Amino acid sequence: MIYSTAVVQLMAPLLVVGLALCLSGTWAVDKGNFKTCEQSAFCKRQRALKPGESPYRALLETMELTNTRLTLQLINDNNKVRLLLELYRLQGNITRVKINELKPLKPRYEVPDVLIREPTTEPLSVLSQDENGVVLSLGVESQRVIISARPFRLDIMEGSDVLMSLNSRGLLAFEHLRMRKDTFSYKVTSTVASVWDNIKRTTKEEEEKVEDGMWEETFKSHTDSKPNGPSAVSLDFSLPGVEHVYGIPEHADTLRLKTTDNGDPYRLYNLDVFQYELYNPMALYGSVPVMVAHSPQRTTGIFWLNAAETWVDISSNTGSSETPQTDVRWISESGIIDVFIMLGPTPKDVFSQYASLTGTQSFPPLASLGYHQCRWNYNDQEDVKSVDAGFDEHDIPYDFIWLDIEHTDGKRYFTWDPHKFATPKEMLQGLMDKKRKMVAIVDPHIKVDSNYKIHNEIRSLGFYVKNKDGGDYEGWCWPGSASYPDFTRADMRAWWASMFAYDQYEGTMENLHTWNDMNEPSVFNGPEVTMHKDAMHGSWEHRDIHNLYGLYVQMATAEGLIQRSGGVERPFVLTRAFFAGSQRIGAVWTGDNAAEWDHLKISIPMCLSMGLVGISFCGADIGGFFKSPSTELLVRWYQAGAYQPFYRAHAHLDTPRREPWLFGPENTALIREAVRQRYTFLPYWYQLFYRRDLLVHPVVEEGARGVTAYLPGKDEVWFDVHTFQKHNGAQNLYIPVTMSSIPVFQRGGSIIPRKLRVRRSSTCMEHDPYTLYVALNLQRTADGELYIDDGHTFNYEKKEFIYRKLTFANKVLSSVNLAPDAKFTTDSWIERIIVLGASKPSKVTLKTADGQEKQLEFDFNASMSVLTVRKPGMNAGADWTVTFQ
Amino acid sequence: MRVYIIVAAVFWCGYVDSRKVRGISSSYKRFYRERKSFLCIDGSRMIPFEQVNDDYCDCEDGSDEPGTSACPHGRFYCTNLGFRPHYIPSSRVNDGICDCCDASDEYNSHTRCQNTCWNLGQRERAYVEGQMRTLDEGLRLKQQLIEEGVLLWREKQAQLRELQQVAEDLQVKLEEHRRKKHEADRLKEQTLKALEAGNSGLIRHQNSSVTSIFHLLDTNKDGSLTVDEIKAKVVLVHDEQRVLSEGEALALLDRGHRMDLSKFQSTLWDVLTRGDTVKIKDTQGAPGSLSSEDPHLKAADKAAEWEATNLKKVEEAYETVNMEISDLQKKLAIDYGTDWEFLFLNGQCYKLKVYEYTYTLCPFNQVTQKSTAGVEVSLG
Repeated sequence: MIYSTAVVQLMAPLLVVGLALCLSGTWAVDKGNFKTCEQSAFCKRQRALKPGESPYRALLETMELTNTRLTLQLINDNNKVRLLLELYRLQGNITRVKINELKPLKPRYEVPDVLIREPTTEPLSVLSQDENGVVLSLGVESQRVIISARPFRLDIMEGSDVLMSLNSRGLLAFEHLRMRKDTFSYKVTSTVASVWDNIKRTTKEEEEKVEDGMWEETFKSHTDSKPNGPSAVSLDFSLPGVEHVYGIPEHADTLRLKTTDNGDPYRLYNLDVFQYELYNPMALYGSVPVMVAHSPQRTTGIFWLNAAETWVDISSNTGSSETPQTDVRWISESGIIDVFIMLGPTPKDVFSQYASLTGTQSFPPLASLGYHQCRWNYNDQEDVKSVDAGFDEHDIPYDFIWLDIEHTDGKRYFTWDPHKFATPKEMLQGLMDKKRKMVAIVDPHIKVDSNYKIHNEIRSLGFYVKNKDGGDYEGWCWPGSASYPDFTRADMRAWWASMFAYDQYEGTMENLHTWNDMNEPSVFNGPEVTMHKDAMHGSWEHRDIHNLYGLYVQMATAEGLIQRSGGVERPFVLTRAFFAGSQRIGAVWTGDNAAEWDHLKISIPMCLSMGLVGISFCGADIGGFFKSPSTELLVRWYQAGAYQPFYRAHAHLDTPRREPWLFGPENTALIREAVRQRYTFLPYWYQLFYRRDLLVHPVVEEGARGVTAYLPGKDEVWFDVHTFQKHNGAQNLYIPVTMSSIPVFQRGGSIIPRKLRVRRSSTCMEHDPYTLYVALNLQRTADGELYIDDGHTFNYEKKEFIYRKLTFANKVLSSVNLAPDAKFTTDSWIERIIVLGASKPSKVTLKTADGQEKQLEFDFNASMSVLTVRKPGMNAGADWTVTFQ
Repeated sequence: MRVYIIVAAVFWCGYVDSRKVRGISSSYKRFYRERKSFLCIDGSRMIPFEQVNDDYCDCEDGSDEPGTSACPHGRFYCTNLGFRPHYIPSSRVNDGICDCCDASDEYNSHTRCQNTCWNLGQRERAYVEGQMRTLDEGLRLKQQLIEEGVLLWREKQAQLRELQQVAEDLQVKLEEHRRKKHEADRLKEQTLKALEAGNSGLIRHQNSSVTSIFHLLDTNKDGSLTVDEIKAKVVLVHDEQRVLSEGEALALLDRGHRMDLSKFQSTLWDVLTRGDTVKIKDTQGAPGSLSSEDPHLKAADKAAEWEATNLKKVEEAYETVNMEISDLQKKLAIDYGTDWEFLFLNGQCYKLKVYEYTYTLCPFNQVTQKSTAGVEVSLG
């Protein structure tokens, strides 16, 4: 499944908007609550290292090469500490470089559960070797790795081009684990003979400089005890020929990453940032340590698999006369260096290389691609009922209504408020009768309350994260005093999943899905509003696993939803915190944004950034979470959101109500139209394989009278999906807009299936007929796909789906089965074919698989060159051809 | 036999159905008379009649597909025999959700809908009957309240009139008492003035005063003034403390040792009334004391005090009555409905407990919220 790739490509044209954003952040976060690099001891220490001669030397005589694995020792000539380098060639043009201490005092953390499997390796061979280095063949074409010995450096070459260099600026730094010298225990152990080696080694070393923050660090009254001392790792990468780098979400910044020479590096550390500020490199709720480097010639990627706090510095020589080059440096607080270098060469290759490591976007239930109505909070069952009825009254489709934290009994997740939600099953049945669904929130902080079953069980099972002194970690969150389950434990996750069973989570039914918020984790009274780094997850410090916590929460929750259905139903789980691999689990949103035009604008590059690194099921709170949107902003947000993957309106408790019908009939109509457009495109959103066939340029400026969109492709044509007006590619097109305009263009050469009978919810549209939009290119051809399954189960894995190729060529439109071994039947049929850029045929004939032929009625609009074929009527799963004579 | 009738009925229905255009009300039938072609109701297009309800949208206004979901802006008419007919959007036809109680909207879907119109109708009729009963009961209650209200209203009106009469009477009384008091005050003032005049020697034109001063000075009441009597009662204007010398007293007696009334009148009286050298000694302090001794003044004073008390009483009574009147008028000025049916609510209070709060509503008066902690907040 290349769902993720596809969404990226679908959204890629939005880049036009992303790059056009102006730099005008006005909103204020309390920056003082969060660390700058200067305030983060390891970042400060590491950043103080300047490029220059690396102290590391490769000991070529230690090199061992099995078929697929090369190992080699590195030595730091300053302190004689040895590192072990491992190098692998992975299937699909990926090179993996791992660096760890040769003999660490204790094991260092290696991130589990992110790679979908141990990657398949491919043979490596030595091409040449001398005392200065080794040249390895990377198998394909002319790709080689050159390992230079003194100083140590890696260059990945293709022909005579250097694709990427590691440690070329000498910024490899690996803080080895060490004994604390000023402590009593060190003095005791150092007299014991069994650690003689250790003493020998340390006496040989140069005296390590002890700096502030190595063994303890204080930030705003929070002290981080660091029993393991300094443990940071860092490595630099040079990217010759590259001027544009993307990725490393989550930041509220432009799509293209900026150089960080004059400010802080981009920070990756999952944090609950209250009222985040735009256009800066501060950390936000999620982290994906993946960067994509792009030039017209080549696209490559760097995946830095480390879950500790990480900072990324970017510099570039842009502006000088030499070949452009971008230099990147990664710094992490602990763990090891484990980096996957994805060598492309095309963007699509990089995306599939990354997908081969961490997986693709989970295939969501069809309904979750519909519209979601959320608010903090819908007050009670009566409220839910009346909002639901409001959608029917105003004829606006929706699939999910959401309940935030107030629905629980005193913020005890897995429970319902006994007064306001006394009969949840009745409420859920009411929604089910309308073929609609609900999402209720389940956060990972558990109220410390001996009358609360969940808390008692977790405590008695010993599943809570521990504080540095071995007791259950306690922090402050929505329920007051709360503890945090240790989701890094597989047994804890299994227990958590079992809590979603219908007999455990009382009042739930199959149309209730889940939302995990606050899973960075958010700890109101913790350092930087999160967990203390010296809290313990078994033998690992929170420091080691921090960025992974949120992924595990969502993973355990999704597993719970799968299990409760006996493994049949696809889960829908939304998360705020995420990491590499989160795409396999569910949807992500951009957290607590605000009702401001700039926040509408930034939602586009923020979601595109996530899409580039695999997390494509992304959205922003429609209308903005904090504050109240103007009516114009709200309408524009509904319009933009209709073309973003995750489409949910949400609002803060303190804001006035803003259901779509509260802004007068005119605006209700505008919002209705935007949501209806979304629903007509649902078959397209749902396709497994789709391409860059839609270009969307939503209006994100207040009072806009027009927008300018770049239509790419010299030999392409684009059709306005509303007017069918044809436009040539490779031009900046000015599009006048009114309040109802959502500029959307279909690429010539594509076929998009849509369902035009928009109903109350996506499920109501299941059996509806399709309209095929065939947009011809200059060669008068087009193709597309049609994918159909039951929309909500895993039965597609058992080949229960329809997957067809639609092709228009030589005046014949045909539907061919791409999966002959798959079995699925549908009631849906083809009710209409609209050919854009057509010429007038004399007759149109349908030929079905049984050989029968039928003349079809059609209507031709000569001024727009639009041909509409009336009611061909064949089943959407059948073979057929339609000939235009 | 019964079965046959049912079967026949079904057949007959089926027959009629096939000729009927699905999803229209009888008032629209005229647009759908079976002919060769059909004109979209908005007049925009002519299509073959067999394309009506063929599950493909031909008319912009959706009028060719009243019975299917094909048109985005169409509507479907639920006949709902036995209940209320109504329109639903075309998008709700065959969507798997039963919208029409006669199940006519789900004629081709995976959902089996029951015809619930009769039940709904019955429930509706029962409901309406219940409503009617409630309404009747309510009207009866209302009538009762109106009657009570009218009585109460009249009672209050009578009360008001009575009070107004009392107020008028009081007004007259008040005027009278004011006059009386004024009179008494004036008399008292006069008496006091007269007294004061005597006291300070300003009463020269009155013979009786000459005599009375003479008597005042003639301590032993023998009809003539002596040196001792003068020394005891007369002092220098500029040195009141010093007792007059023999010589000075003699001089005042015109060098004689005795002086009778007629001599006094022509000599010393003039000196005293001129008042620039000597005056009568202030033996008893303030002139008031002098006044209080005066029986005329005492009487006048008492009379004035009496009248003031009387006036105050009447004023208070008047004020009380007026307040009652204004209270009553305020109450009567409130809109109690056209027939005073809400009048009985005035003065009533109702309580409602919601979680930890007790709300008290006193119509036409106030609303409060009281928490169990005892804090009471007025809500207006």
